[in-house]
Amino acid sequence: MTLIKIMDAEFAYDKNIVFTGVNLQINSGELFCLLGPNGCGKTTLLDCMLGVSKLSRGSIYLAGKNTCDFASGELARHMAYVPQSHNQTFPYKVLDIVKMGRTAYTGRFSAPVAADVDIARESLKIVGLLGMAGRPYTQLSGGETQLVMIARALAQKTPVILMDEPTSHLDFKHEMVVLETIVELVRNMGVTIVMATHFPNHAFYFDNNGLDTRVGLMHNHSLQKIGTAEQVITEENIESIYRVQAKMLCYDVEQHQAVKQLMPIKTLDRNND
Amino acid sequence: MSPTKQKWTGVLLVLAPLVMICLSLFIGRYPITADMVFKVLASRVLSLNSTIPDVYDTLIWEIRMPRAILGAVVGGALAISGAAFQGLFRNPLVSSGILGVSHGAGFGASMAIIIFHNNAWAVYPSAFIFGMIAVLLSYMIGRIYNTTPTIMLVLGGVIVSSVFAALISFAKYVADPYEQLPTIVFWLMGSLASARYQDILIAGLPMMVGVAGLLAIRWRINVLSMGDKEAHSLGVNVAADKAIVIACATLATAAAVCVSGIIGWVGLIMPHIARMMVGNDNRLLIPASFAAGAFFLVLVDNLGRIITSSEMPLGILTALVGGPFFVWLLKKTRAGGW
Repeated sequence: MTLIKIMDAEFAYDKNIVFTGVNLQINSGELFCLLGPNGCGKTTLLDCMLGVSKLSRGSIYLAGKNTCDFASGELARHMAYVPQSHNQTFPYKVLDIVKMGRTAYTGRFSAPVAADVDIARESLKIVGLLGMAGRPYTQLSGGETQLVMIARALAQKTPVILMDEPTSHLDFKHEMVVLETIVELVRNMGVTIVMATHFPNHAFYFDNNGLDTRVGLMHNHSLQKIGTAEQVITEENIESIYRVQAKMLCYDVEQHQAVKQLMPIKTLDRNND
Repeated sequence: MSPTKQKWTGVLLVLAPLVMICLSLFIGRYPITADMVFKVLASRVLSLNSTIPDVYDTLIWEIRMPRAILGAVVGGALAISGAAFQGLFRNPLVSSGILGVSHGAGFGASMAIIIFHNNAWAVYPSAFIFGMIAVLLSYMIGRIYNTTPTIMLVLGGVIVSSVFAALISFAKYVADPYEQLPTIVFWLMGSLASARYQDILIAGLPMMVGVAGLLAIRWRINVLSMGDKEAHSLGVNVAADKAIVIACATLATAAAVCVSGIIGWVGLIMPHIARMMVGNDNRLLIPASFAAGAFFLVLVDNLGRIITSSEMPLGILTALVGGPFFVWLLKKTRAGGW
């Protein structure tokens, strides 16, 4: 079932086109990886889906309804967002942060009730941080903070979660923790995830774990390739879009069937002067 | 924080300002014994027919009492607006004056003092209206790009504040140096000395509306402090909610400033005291800031009446007490969560 439908989308400010002619359908229960070089417009496309930025042409439909027609609270009951890195301000308690995921279900002049707190605790439990509920979130590590952001998105109880490079500031282990959490969300809870990432291997990781994974490759102001990880992340595409020579590796890990990874070898035509 | 501790903190925050108000009835230049203060209070409360001299009755009920009450609501209004702005601007160093309300009100008062010769019925509305105009201008500068990014609002506040500061200087320059200039200078330093019940009534309504509005929307300030993009994705109509918080905080601050002059530091420091007591959740922080501000301003006003024979202007004392305290706070918070 098509959950998100993007039709002929274009975003431009002044006369600079960030992306144009983007057409995309994302199905329910799918994990969609948005790949592309720096500055190709991944974040802007996510912003337009969220309604933070407005398309200059085209439209985005969510569950059959144009996202422009959603009221601000209504959209947040359909789509949650996990930022690339969260700017911490005041040392709120972890649970207070996750409770904010209930904003869309709470009136402007009221606060979350006991049922909302239960949902927040449940979300923290899913990401494995219930034990830290009472801690100031400013004391958490980058990886834990990102898990709190995911818990907050879960508390929104939305069918779709958008993630903007959720692992970009994390160490080796916490990157895996976040990826594993994402796999659980899609597999166990049926959440549809759209994730911008810099790492082609993320797509393979999800694919290797049996998720319904598709990849969109953005370049030159448009979404150039859409398909399965295997179809899109090929040695040829990586070479032509990133100008990186890469090698596809396929190997067996324990009982898994063939696990695929893309191995970067070297950059091509780099300016050395 | 355990529930019992939370409960006692709440009790303390309610009682402290009330105790301080009661205490202030005993403090002042006019010699009146504690014994007599009790008698005066009792005679009105229990409506006894006693032989208390009128001067004592007037002193307690018409001078010290309204002054203490006004001090409490002004302090509370400044602190609650400061706490709301700190959340809204995601910055712990912001105070209630960030959008220029103090300088605007200061100019409004100076102008009224020159034109209408310090008639209270002209000074109050003029200070109030120019305080509101200053914030409106800052807000419009912040909206140049049709959104209200925090940095643009802060810039708007800086610009508007400095323009009104210059206008205040101009007013001082053209003012009559024997009559008007001292009045302007004293007004700008802040004082509760002339407080009467009518002041409380005049300033009370806008202050009450502002404070009630901030109390109502206080949990949303948590969400707004996540930044515009996250607040939007969590389901907040960012522009509308920001406008409500700014309008409420401005009503409260402008009303406070127009009856008491410019009193600095309360709106910056009292929210931090409240943070240490109840944490950063605005659901608790906003009411706690009101209590802390009410307590602090009555305390400082009492100090001002005790330590010098002629009353020291409030703005001087809040800064003298607040400055060293703020240094200590900075040192302490570096070791704390942020």
